[in-house]
Amino acid sequence: MHSLVGFAILGVDWQELKPFIVLGLALGGAYALSGVGIVVLYQTTGVLNVAFGAVGAAGALIAYWMIHHTSLSQWIAYLVCILFGGVVNLVYGVIFGPAFAKRDPLVKMMGTLALALILLGTMGWRAPAGGAFVRFLTLPTTNHRYEIFGASVSLTQIIALVFALVLTAATTAFLRYTSLGTAYRAVANDREISATLGVPVRRVEASAWFGSGLVCGCAGLLLADLYTSLDYSALTFLVISSLAAALIGRLRSLWATLAGGLTVGLVQGLLTPYGRVTEYRAATPFVLSIIALLWLSRTRVVTISRTAQ
Amino acid sequence: MSTTSAPTQNQIEPARPSLRVDREITFRAVVILAFLAIVMFLLPSVLGSDWIKTFTSVAIYSVVALGLGILYGRVGMISLGQIGLLAIGTWTATRLNYAFHLPFPVLLLLTGAITCVIGTLIGLPALRLSGLYLALITLMAAGAVNIILSAINFPNGGGGFTGHTTAVDLSGLAPVRRPAGAAGDTAYYRYVVVVCALMFLLALVHLATKAGRAWASIRESEPSALASGVNITLYKMWAFALASFMTGIAGGLLASQLGQPTIYGFPIQDSLTLLAVVLIGGIYSLWGAVIAGSFMQLVPFIFQAEWNVNANFLLIIFGAGLLQVLLTAPGGLADQVPKDLAKLWRFISGPLRRGAPA
Repeated sequence: MHSLVGFAILGVDWQELKPFIVLGLALGGAYALSGVGIVVLYQTTGVLNVAFGAVGAAGALIAYWMIHHTSLSQWIAYLVCILFGGVVNLVYGVIFGPAFAKRDPLVKMMGTLALALILLGTMGWRAPAGGAFVRFLTLPTTNHRYEIFGASVSLTQIIALVFALVLTAATTAFLRYTSLGTAYRAVANDREISATLGVPVRRVEASAWFGSGLVCGCAGLLLADLYTSLDYSALTFLVISSLAAALIGRLRSLWATLAGGLTVGLVQGLLTPYGRVTEYRAATPFVLSIIALLWLSRTRVVTISRTAQ
Repeated sequence: MSTTSAPTQNQIEPARPSLRVDREITFRAVVILAFLAIVMFLLPSVLGSDWIKTFTSVAIYSVVALGLGILYGRVGMISLGQIGLLAIGTWTATRLNYAFHLPFPVLLLLTGAITCVIGTLIGLPALRLSGLYLALITLMAAGAVNIILSAINFPNGGGGFTGHTTAVDLSGLAPVRRPAGAAGDTAYYRYVVVVCALMFLLALVHLATKAGRAWASIRESEPSALASGVNITLYKMWAFALASFMTGIAGGLLASQLGQPTIYGFPIQDSLTLLAVVLIGGIYSLWGAVIAGSFMQLVPFIFQAEWNVNANFLLIIFGAGLLQVLLTAPGGLADQVPKDLAKLWRFISGPLRRGAPA
């Protein structure tokens, strides 16, 4: 299928690459979305939440169950999915956040690992996957398709990308111009001094947990649709792609995280049509985050006092 | 031990500590020997074949847990890539098995050596990174290994580097060989226990000598270790090499245990579970590794095959246990259980002693 204006990139026709670019950008948007949620939470509380994917997957499973086993409107199901993310994160943050507050970032991360294991176990028990039974969660927006630059794009894919852009911009503005945003930045800088100055540290942290949880629910919903099927185990480990995005943003810059997420999605998508490497495309987030980590560690500082993070 | 001669008053005081140390070491040796005797001779005589296969896996995963225990508990370097490394070890052993007809111990050692080199390379970033970032980079490495091994598949008697053939008829394919004279499940189980005991001995020797002291000082404070002349690069790499070697040996044993291993035996999730069970078992104790191996292999077996309970419950328990360990019991079960038992004993024996005549 060669079009008249077609040109080939490494032996693959440009026209054939288009759908993969669309797919890659949409997935990249969802990765970036989660990445931004992860970075904001990490900056405020010092917790790198590796349960992000598990919470999103659990929310999506609940939405799936509500759509198929209750007579409620599917929009309520989606709302419940998003709220579930917020509530689970909030509950974890309120109960365990203060207990872990003075610990090493690694220990904080392991705490969320425990949350991920609990959620994985619950999902495996209540909603076992496997066999011929496959769940699909198709958002109604997926049926609206548009033709953009000759490629067919679904509304869900557009939402994923636009939402990522909007969230990044909105979060940046929120951190800069609102008083709560200033409190976030103060807590990120130094928790103890902020507390001394009268910043309600626990409430600020709780709001960060809740906010990032809402993002987590949205990302779970979008990924359950964009990623061919609702496979809770795969969705749980899609957090690795978001971590890659967050690491490219040095766990600090929101715009770099956005760029990182889009890059991971795009590279993964573009590798698909290349027969020789297509099997390895799933390694993209791993390889990119290894590169990002090595880049981060190119200079080494021996820290004797407590770390500022 | 000439403790029978009547000591003068001055000699008693210095003599006591060494006597106590001797007693403690003797006690430990007796406990370990009794444990090994039960594991090697009593268990096979009372348990069925399924149980023996499970206990073989327990022994193998104890060694994997031991590797992680040394890295994180002794040196303070976290690794979430140990299951990926185990997969590399198993793949290497399978490949060597189909490529050459080596005696089993040679095959094991070669597998250990190759995994040691790969593991040390994966551990290289540990010289620069620590804590959270090291955890992430090792997790990412394990994920990449998983995808590469899924793409090239485990060897099944084919040619070339990967040794994988897509031929439909594999009826003539022999499973990965077992050592001569240990083809049966029980004999192989005993063989595995002996090899694993040797790995624990290797760890013990390291911990009791210069390497163990260097690791302890690195764990406590890297700048002080550096200041007191510890070669940090050498000892960090040494720890990774030792842990990788052990994991490679475990991989070699696992290849023969499984017969025809596949990548599905090494999901990324297991790397996370391994960390949880190692912490729950007790990261600072060698017994903790044995407990971790049991949690990883024996408890799921009991849950599923014996009690018919969904094994996913275990993940919930592991998650809760991990939170508990992180927040209140950093020493894990290996540290907590003896303490609790001692408390219980004092609770029971207290009233009895009070009641006794002075």
